[in-house]
Amino acid sequence: MTNDEFRMTKEIRNPKPETSPRAPRWLFSSFAIRPSFVIRPFVLRHSLLALFSSAAFADSPRPTLPPEQRTNGKQTLVAVGKVAQPVLACSARIESLLGRPVCAATIVGIDGYILTKASEAPDLEKVRLKLTEGRTAELREIHRDVRFDLVLAQAVGLSKLRAANFGATRSLSHGQWLCSSSGASREPRIGIISANHRQIPGNGAALGIRMDEKAPKEAQGVRIIGIATDSPAEAAGLQAEDVILSIADEPVAQFKSVHEIVNKRQPGEYVEVRYLREGKEESCRVRLASRTKVIQNWEGEDFANGGISLRTDGFPDALQHDIPLAPSDMGGPLATLDGKIVGINIARVDRVTTFALPVESFWTEIQQWINADRHPPKAQAAE
Amino acid sequence: MPHFVPRFLRLTATLLVALTSVAEAAEQNDLASLLRIQAEVQKRLPQVRPSLVAIQTGGGTASGVIISSTGLILTAAHVVDKPGRDIRVVLDDGSVTTAKSLGLDQATDAALAQLKDRGKPWPSVNLSREVVKAQPGEWCFALGHPGGFDKARGAVLRVGKIVKQTANSLHTDCVLMGGDSGGPLFNLAGEVIGIHSQIWENRDQNVHVSMAPFLRSWEAMQASQVIKTWGVGAGGYLGVATRMSDAVELEVADVIDGSPAQKAGVRVGDVILGVNSDAMTDQQQFTATIKTKAAGDLVTLLLRTDGKERKVPVTLAQRPREGE
Repeated sequence: MTNDEFRMTKEIRNPKPETSPRAPRWLFSSFAIRPSFVIRPFVLRHSLLALFSSAAFADSPRPTLPPEQRTNGKQTLVAVGKVAQPVLACSARIESLLGRPVCAATIVGIDGYILTKASEAPDLEKVRLKLTEGRTAELREIHRDVRFDLVLAQAVGLSKLRAANFGATRSLSHGQWLCSSSGASREPRIGIISANHRQIPGNGAALGIRMDEKAPKEAQGVRIIGIATDSPAEAAGLQAEDVILSIADEPVAQFKSVHEIVNKRQPGEYVEVRYLREGKEESCRVRLASRTKVIQNWEGEDFANGGISLRTDGFPDALQHDIPLAPSDMGGPLATLDGKIVGINIARVDRVTTFALPVESFWTEIQQWINADRHPPKAQAAE
Repeated sequence: MPHFVPRFLRLTATLLVALTSVAEAAEQNDLASLLRIQAEVQKRLPQVRPSLVAIQTGGGTASGVIISSTGLILTAAHVVDKPGRDIRVVLDDGSVTTAKSLGLDQATDAALAQLKDRGKPWPSVNLSREVVKAQPGEWCFALGHPGGFDKARGAVLRVGKIVKQTANSLHTDCVLMGGDSGGPLFNLAGEVIGIHSQIWENRDQNVHVSMAPFLRSWEAMQASQVIKTWGVGAGGYLGVATRMSDAVELEVADVIDGSPAQKAGVRVGDVILGVNSDAMTDQQQFTATIKTKAAGDLVTLLLRTDGKERKVPVTLAQRPREGE
């Protein structure tokens, strides 16, 4: 049984109380089936899925709703075809120089100014902007802000762009429809304001490792005894029994120093980790993530579909909505159905949560940065 | 040339159908209808939100909903685990109280709990008694405390559509996660139509217990004034497996040893013609009919054995537990 199979189905009490998921037994509750005939879903994944749909179909007076008629299906989205235009017009993508999607961006100035999620795009020299109609441009970094996790940049050589028309978020309340764009083809997606607008406290960064408090037998470094699911450490290939020697060139003598080194940094930052594996010295680059999420999702409890953002907290103000977006959609605009841009999507947090920065929280400051960049102070004449 | 006429008519009819369905689709997908759903949800939310609770047991955190002013809570069986358990309940405003778990149905994941008396009525919502109305395509909304109670965040709302209806459950595209279990799914009238139960990997795979398993035992609860632990299983237990015969009749394929059916003399090969006064023609209908009966109910099967019709009374039993 692989870990993946364990994650097939899950009762949604939190945290998961059992070591293995229970079969959705009601599927087999038909009186005609002997208990001994029950098939465990984590044994037979595909046959369960087949049973699942046929059983549901048999009992259902109306057939299963086809995907195109669901909340974010093509037919439902016909209704927002027109109103989604403003949000699609001011959204763009950040991609690697090889064309791999990195994250989304919001166009905030007709002369090429854009905002994107800073922790997803740590090095703007290694990425480029791609507009909906296909044009690409290099980016010039202007200002990077850790509080908002935003970076202001200008797309070099682009002009006459459709910039975001910002509206106010004060009147937004639970249940209000919102719209964003998703994916490389920038399709509209809808959802609602789903929780209170609030500050999201930060709790630093983490690698996602559990450490031995005792000194290792090698007499140096810190031994890893556990790795969190979907964590930065797992992504970088670190394993239990590896002995960490240094992080970002700082030697690690005891487990506390790992916390100290990591805590000085932000989620999204890369650190070089040198470690011993079976007596051999190796190294890898680990990209840090928000500590709170790494700990809460230690065993994959979140069941997040499409993954989550590296940085998910530490925002001065955030709107929470339920639009089905991916981590690579962060940095893009969030709009109301009357076409006003009310925020920038800033973190995909878990299966049900996406945070957006409300426009009031950042726009005044960003405008100052743009103005300062458009009108740089004249150089003082040399005396 | 009379054959031209029907051809022409047929074409016209087809065109009309096509035009009608296009018009309907356009109307359904109109922006105005999305905004109407928004208005409905926003009108209902303040009415139903005070009845949402967070449930904290030793094993974790979940949700529930109060459905009577006397403090009866609907939740999921895997949340309370067993009857008579003391659970900690957090109300929408953050105040904390306690409840005791009552009956539960592990097969369908339905459960009840009773809040401690507080000397004044509890905020409550109604549940929908018209289970079949919760059809695929209908809009709905979900409330819960995903990840546990968070005062600053408050209850989390999701709006979506019903994707599937089965005998005991609803599937929706209202995305759920850990901590939502036991929380309510509402129709746009603000009535409870489901209790959050399970999720699958995809975002559209969110499973709720429908009101069917709750309503099935409702009468017994009301009559006795005491909520008892329900029998294990969905509805009464007969103990036969069926198949459709070559003559497209409902036929007994197997009889489970020791089951009520075996004790009453039902045999493999019997054709099932009816249950009580209802004629039976297919397996789904038969399954659904038996499921609506409770353990202890007497049903009369109309069977045909070797060409002769006979009536067989059977008292339904409790479904045996797995492994027994």
